[in-house]
Amino acid sequence: MMFTESQHRTLRAVLDRLIPADDYPGAWEAGAGDYIARQLEGDSKHLLTSYRLGLDAMDAEAVTAHGQHFADLYVARQDALIRNVERGVTGALWVIPATGFMNTLIHHAMEGYYADPAQGGNRGAKSWEMIGFDQIGRP
Amino acid sequence: MTQTYDVIIVGAGAGGGIAAGVLAEAGKRVLLLERGPNRSFEDVGRDHLRNQRLSLYGHNAGPDEEGNPRVVLDTQGREHLVRPHEGGYQNNAAGVGGGTRVYGAQAWRFMEQDFRMASTYGVPEFSSLSDWPISYADLEPYYERAEWELGVAGDGEACTVQAPRAKGYPMPPVPDNPSRIVLKRGAERLGWNTNPVPLLINTTSYLGRPACVQCSYCVGFACPSDSKNGTQNTLIPRALASGQCEMITEAMAERIDTDAQGKVVGVTYLFERDGMMQRESATAKAVVVSSGAIESARLLLNSTSTLHPQGLGNEHDIVGRSLQGHFYPGVHGLFEEVVHDGLGPGVSIATSQFNHGNAGIVGGGMLANEFTKLPMIFWRGSIPPDVPRWGAANKRWMRENFNRTLHVMGPVQDIPNPECRVQIAPEVRDRYGIPVAKLSGTTHPETVRTATFMYERAREWMEASGAVRVWGGLPSLSLSAGQHQAGTCRMGDDPHTSVTDSWGRVHAHDNLFVVDASLHVTNGGFNPVLTIMALAFRCAEHIAKVL
Repeated sequence: MMFTESQHRTLRAVLDRLIPADDYPGAWEAGAGDYIARQLEGDSKHLLTSYRLGLDAMDAEAVTAHGQHFADLYVARQDALIRNVERGVTGALWVIPATGFMNTLIHHAMEGYYADPAQGGNRGAKSWEMIGFDQIGRP
Repeated sequence: MTQTYDVIIVGAGAGGGIAAGVLAEAGKRVLLLERGPNRSFEDVGRDHLRNQRLSLYGHNAGPDEEGNPRVVLDTQGREHLVRPHEGGYQNNAAGVGGGTRVYGAQAWRFMEQDFRMASTYGVPEFSSLSDWPISYADLEPYYERAEWELGVAGDGEACTVQAPRAKGYPMPPVPDNPSRIVLKRGAERLGWNTNPVPLLINTTSYLGRPACVQCSYCVGFACPSDSKNGTQNTLIPRALASGQCEMITEAMAERIDTDAQGKVVGVTYLFERDGMMQRESATAKAVVVSSGAIESARLLLNSTSTLHPQGLGNEHDIVGRSLQGHFYPGVHGLFEEVVHDGLGPGVSIATSQFNHGNAGIVGGGMLANEFTKLPMIFWRGSIPPDVPRWGAANKRWMRENFNRTLHVMGPVQDIPNPECRVQIAPEVRDRYGIPVAKLSGTTHPETVRTATFMYERAREWMEASGAVRVWGGLPSLSLSAGQHQAGTCRMGDDPHTSVTDSWGRVHAHDNLFVVDASLHVTNGGFNPVLTIMALAFRCAEHIAKVL
């Protein structure tokens, strides 16, 4: 397994705040998690340890601030926490740079959502339908 | 084993591919060496994260990520080892067709003043700005050849700013699209002349290949209907069909060989067959270097000998200097109406109003709307700075505005700096064991001043076109080379300040030529490929005559 159960829950929760569901899928449903898993076995293999440490630290942030796991927080609290980590405002112990981790995660989420489905994400090219890219000849 | 040819051409890109076609059809026996493979449409693929427009994790048209490093010396004097898809490498595609396999295919002629920048503007302090040894009139018939023998779609009457042309384009321009209608309205308000962007893309069937199917993947990718015209589907097939040209792909030139008298006799190249690295030397009456401005300089500099300790053509330390490309200032604008119909190529309208004649500014540049954009490129670079980069607001912005946002930008005439250069990093070697290129320096500060001026014109155009919001970033000093790299083996009449004569012949050699953008004394305020092609027709025709 690439991630522990807890890391997996945190990843899913963070991704779904980076790109939340509305009438179009959120990041997780669109396959951004699958994209990241593939990326961490391929071109971003060197980031796997950072991912594990970063997801643990994200969850520790939630526990430190609110006494709850990240995935169990209200979305407003999740958003506030992501914003803080993005700016390097942290309360828990980070052994990797917090801003760098969040920056990577944001970019990977977007790549998993907006890139071509052949890269492992963007299931059914839903994001392209949403924004109106490459719709020629599509139903 | 040594084979004897009339000409060995190193590099099957825009310049080398045309040289091969012209020389082979003139009856010369040609060896065309290309370091990359001959990629099919499927080989190039449609990876949104690994292409010549967005190379986050690799490239779709080479060079390979591993085994092809360069050294980049930053402005603080620190050296960085970079891979082809990483920032600072200044990559161009490596394979049959070179950059033309995956380019956007804008087919601009340079203007008359572009060939005499120094006499038009004077030479800014510390710049190597010079006139070309040839004029627009010298090149005009060869521009025409390139337009007709590769195939350009455009409107020869529309641009009132550019130099006269003897003949129109072989194909009508790309059809109007919403972006063009909106931007034309703005330009008319400002009294600016515009024209449809000339493209090396078929708008009708031409030379046996069909018209463009208007997919969304022009720039950075290969064409699904083979309607985009590069050397890989025009002059190189012609060369091969003549029976006079042998092309060897995935073969890397190590050095240009000279004899005891210093005369160029051939090329030694390396290739891998059955897992083994092999070295071969071929001899020829002449050698043509067409590897792009960085790799051509590298090959000349690496071809040292007792008689040429500084490399070939480098007696006066000019090879590799004045490396230049293009700054691309531009702005984004948001519109209330939908401004994209989703059809490629997307690029459809340009103005050459500010290429010259700007008070107090050296040169200028062309402005055009951007090609259809990949969603990831849009997310990374086309969202206003105050919109959050994630969350519901970001998603909503992407959804509402992907097709309501225009991007206008254009190449700015680079004011060359002799300290912006290609050198050799002797201690760093590529997968073949050949010392790699080391890049250093930045463009001249005048380029940034011109780019800032053009940024303001782009903003003006966007506002006049009815954008409800306009945003963009001001340019800053850096090295620009990339896909438009040029200038490292400039042509000229004086061997002390140039590398070749006006035919691309390296001074002090009878039979060594450079045929690519390295020859460009200056690089115009336009995409340079049609000029590379025109020069290649002109130089190759000359080589065929004198050989």
